[in-house]
Amino acid sequence: MMIRKSLENDVLTVFLSGRLDTSNSAEFDSAVRESVDSVNEVVLDMRGLEYTSSSGLRVILALHKLMDAKGGKLVLRNVNSYIMEIFDVTGFSDILTIEQ
Amino acid sequence: MNYIDFTNKDNTATIFLKGHIDSSNAPDIEKEINETLGNEKFDNLVIDAEELKYISSAGLRIILRLKKEYPDLKIINVPTEIYEIFDMTGFAEMMTIEKAYRKFSVDGCELIGKGANGSVYRYDEDTIVKVYNQYSSLDDIKREREMARKALILGVPTAIPYDVVKVGDQYGSVFELLNADSFAELLISGQKTMDEIVDMAVELAKQIHNTPVKDGEMPYIKDTALGWVDFLKDHLPKEEYEKLNKMVNDIPREHHMLHGDYHIKNVMMQNGEVLLIDMDTLCVGHPIFELASVYNAYIGFNSADHSIAKDFLGLDWDDSVLFFNKFMHKYLEGRSEEEIEEIGKKAAVLGFTRILRRTIKRFGYENGKPLIDKARECLDKYIFELDSLYFDTGIE
Repeated sequence: MMIRKSLENDVLTVFLSGRLDTSNSAEFDSAVRESVDSVNEVVLDMRGLEYTSSSGLRVILALHKLMDAKGGKLVLRNVNSYIMEIFDVTGFSDILTIEQ
Repeated sequence: MNYIDFTNKDNTATIFLKGHIDSSNAPDIEKEINETLGNEKFDNLVIDAEELKYISSAGLRIILRLKKEYPDLKIINVPTEIYEIFDMTGFAEMMTIEKAYRKFSVDGCELIGKGANGSVYRYDEDTIVKVYNQYSSLDDIKREREMARKALILGVPTAIPYDVVKVGDQYGSVFELLNADSFAELLISGQKTMDEIVDMAVELAKQIHNTPVKDGEMPYIKDTALGWVDFLKDHLPKEEYEKLNKMVNDIPREHHMLHGDYHIKNVMMQNGEVLLIDMDTLCVGHPIFELASVYNAYIGFNSADHSIAKDFLGLDWDDSVLFFNKFMHKYLEGRSEEEIEEIGKKAAVLGFTRILRRTIKRFGYENGKPLIDKARECLDKYIFELDSLYFDTGIE
């Protein structure tokens, strides 16, 4: 998996690509957390993401709660149809903010 | 002519549509349907479209006319291509149309586990299929999937439940593949010590129990337990039954998530991450019910025949008892020995209440005697010794 971050004003955009699974979800989690202190919105750009396991989902859920707690928001963007299906069957699509 | 098949069950008529339906055969098919249904009025009409290959507007008009007569008309087992026709024409918004379950074959798939209610196959690099035996109803299968989904959304670490599929004549559930070892495997192979496993098991149990669940999301375990007690009305001395009934009734209504079958074969470890499986017993209630299921797994079910601990968990009886005691001490850390012992007795009472009912129901008094005696021995003693079956969890 590749993680690329870009910070503009108070919006942190994180570009994800490849496979998000148990071997790299912790790395993804800390990569986002270390940069959210002064951030109001985190955008996860998933254009290049091919797969996410449950450990990836848990990190996304935890980040969603983290941003909620500090009054900011987490937005998912460019979710491909395969990942969208995972969000749909699990009900994550009802909880998360997904912008296509 | 024989265009359709027909069944009538509980006054619900099911029509099985087959092959191509277009203007060339639609009148004949409609005639056959009308003759089959005759003048009889059924409560409900269902159309099974599993073998339907194509349907033209002439066929759709037949469905519309049937819908007038049967407003709750439901179309089930709809193949993807046919579903698209219903979707495009707006039929999917007008009536209940259920897509067919995807068909899976497990030929050539590696069998990775066999349990009481089915077999688990590795399907591809990311998924497994759990194929249920014929005793599991579709409702049970859907419930397990739904419980796993709810847990996942509440942040409990578990595998992603994908869809329900058809494997030959049986149903299956697709789950995320975990490249993981169970706590039982880690313990027996010596990769982890018992203390390490107990610490992780308690930490996960507390995480589950600290997860609040909204009303109606999951079954309330106290209701289930009151059912066990009710069954025992005719099997326990009156005074004992009444005391038990009162004590179960008095357990406060709390909304902690419980796993319901929490033991070392249902917890896995993958890359240092701990995950829960077998979510069909998920429920809500006071954690004493969880401790009761833990008691049963390590002691209760094995109390008459100690070799069951070895067969089921892979542990010698002594280790199984030791594991339970360590688990209780860690879970109830900070409390006095006496308090921990008393909570253990409460767990035993609830555990044996369930075992007694189950054993009488399944095996009867003769075949179930050794376990029934053990259960009675515990209940007869502790029910009068205890004042209540709950404890202050300290969880908000």
